[in-house]
Amino acid sequence: MSTIVRVENLHKSFGGIVVADDVNLSFETGEIVGLIGPNGAGKTSLFNLISGVIPPDAGSITLGDHRVDQLPMHHRARIGLARTWQNTRMFHSMSVIDNLLIATRRYPGESLARILFRRRALDAFRQEATEKAVALLERVGLADKMHEMAIELSYGQQKRIGLARALMSDAACLLLDEPMAGVEGQAYETIIRVIREEAQAGRAVCVVEHNISFIRDISDRTVFMFNGCVLASGSVDELTRDSQLTDLYFGGEHPQ
Amino acid sequence: MEYILTVMVLIGINVILATSFNLILGYGGLMSVAHPIFYAIGAYCSGLLAIHLQIPVPLSILIGAGIAMVLSFGVSLPSLRVSGDYLVIASIGFQLGILHVINNLDFTGAAGGLTNIPVLNEGPSRSLVFVLLIAVVAACAVFLVGWIVEGDYGRAITAMRNDEEAFSALGRNAMNIKIVLFAIGSGMAGLAGALYAHYFAYVTPEQFGIFTSAALLTMVVVGGAATTWGPLVGAVLLTTLPQAITFLGLPVSIMAPLQGVIYTTLVIFFLFARPQGLTGGSRGGGGLEAWSASAAFRARRDAE
Ligand SMILES: Nc1ncnc2c1ncn2[C@@H]1O[C@H](COP(=O)(O)OP(=O)(O)O)[C@@H](O)[C@H]1O
Ligand SMILES: [Mg+2]
Repeated sequence: MSTIVRVENLHKSFGGIVVADDVNLSFETGEIVGLIGPNGAGKTSLFNLISGVIPPDAGSITLGDHRVDQLPMHHRARIGLARTWQNTRMFHSMSVIDNLLIATRRYPGESLARILFRRRALDAFRQEATEKAVALLERVGLADKMHEMAIELSYGQQKRIGLARALMSDAACLLLDEPMAGVEGQAYETIIRVIREEAQAGRAVCVVEHNISFIRDISDRTVFMFNGCVLASGSVDELTRDSQLTDLYFGGEHPQ
Repeated sequence: MEYILTVMVLIGINVILATSFNLILGYGGLMSVAHPIFYAIGAYCSGLLAIHLQIPVPLSILIGAGIAMVLSFGVSLPSLRVSGDYLVIASIGFQLGILHVINNLDFTGAAGGLTNIPVLNEGPSRSLVFVLLIAVVAACAVFLVGWIVEGDYGRAITAMRNDEEAFSALGRNAMNIKIVLFAIGSGMAGLAGALYAHYFAYVTPEQFGIFTSAALLTMVVVGGAATTWGPLVGAVLLTTLPQAITFLGLPVSIMAPLQGVIYTTLVIFFLFARPQGLTGGSRGGGGLEAWSASAAFRARRDAE
């Protein structure tokens, strides 16, 4: 096992709200890390810090051998980071397959000059990307929706498209923000299988989810966040045995 | 006859302007209103080069367009840091700043304007030849923008406009696209300005102010933002409409404000009732979605 992402002494606050308070974490190849904590704990913010949506106040983030905390988002993505979004963030005036094509590594529409002078090579890239997108849509069970507008699908379907879109680039690290929200029935099993397969392929996966039984099912290790702090790390059962943590998680209302 | 040809020249110029503005604003979703300043830069640079350095007019026109292209960094660089309303404000600042300089320099003719600009072509059928030329250039402009926004590059532009963060997080470089769209769009505006200058032989700073921004915005909105033919339709309508009103024989004191009222009413009406413009389909609206107040667009935006 080797470390894909290493977060050290990360700090971030918005005015008075501390979303990362000396966070130290690492994600290893082949590992699925569950990230849990109550609403507002800073889970999404941690993904935003790692992927470059927001800059940290202090601390470092390394991705493979690269220190990435000062790099723009697209550089980090190209080095090997892919993420999904809590609120899906589909490209709303585009079809499902076009949503996926954008994410391919060698995107054929990267520069106008290349479109003019390297038509042949780009045709090959486009072909390759299209085949990959179709295969991914099949894996998440949405191949039949390929030509529909992404925004017109249900929330759960958009979540699955978001996952497929994140898988287009073969990134070494996957950050999945509540991938199961709105996903039901057979699709639920499908997503679990896809996430496991990606980890087996050697990616480091970090999953934020409120569904504890899902986290218990899928994660090798679970990290508990509260008020921007990583409070504990271990198996779900270890964490849920700690009544202090369950009180924080459920606000003391639902002892479980 | 000469009058009709002159109106046709104006239509051609406005088609080039509206089409290139649509590339930036409609397709790119880049909320710059400074488009007329690149029109001015093309007109003044080409005019001055031809007057003072005796550069052949066709060459000076191309250089004028090239300078407008280079100076588009003045808006594309801010657009990398700010977007939406902030970019509107930054671009107005850029536009008014340069206009202020032009207004106060002696060698640009200051507020009185630049006169005695050499014309591109002379002879008895000068206007007809110019109309044909401008029609060809306008057709090329529409074609060029149509080519840029289709296929793989167009898909990237759309994705960037829909959600720049999600786009960047997928490893795509939004910075390149913004710089390219501003450079090409502004270069086209510069070309339109240079052509204008060497047809009418005279330009004044007031042609390139906020009123022209509003007029171009109206053309794009009325015709249909992020559509191929919208800006063309908008430019034809909004160039001929004011001309038609002049035939009503109203006094100037009513005419001038009336034009402003018409533009404003049209923009507000279309943004509320038909954000996709005259030519757009149900999913039109492009970069103007954010400004549109229509219920359907709001609903879709809030669903994000
Ligand atoms: N860009 C931002 N500006 C200000 N406050 C923010 C921003 N992003 C997140 N927050 C705040 O930070 C806290 C943590 O949010 P978030 O990371 O989304 O939590 P979680 O995903 O764990 O529910 C919340 O109180 C949220 O309101
Ligand atoms: Mg969250």
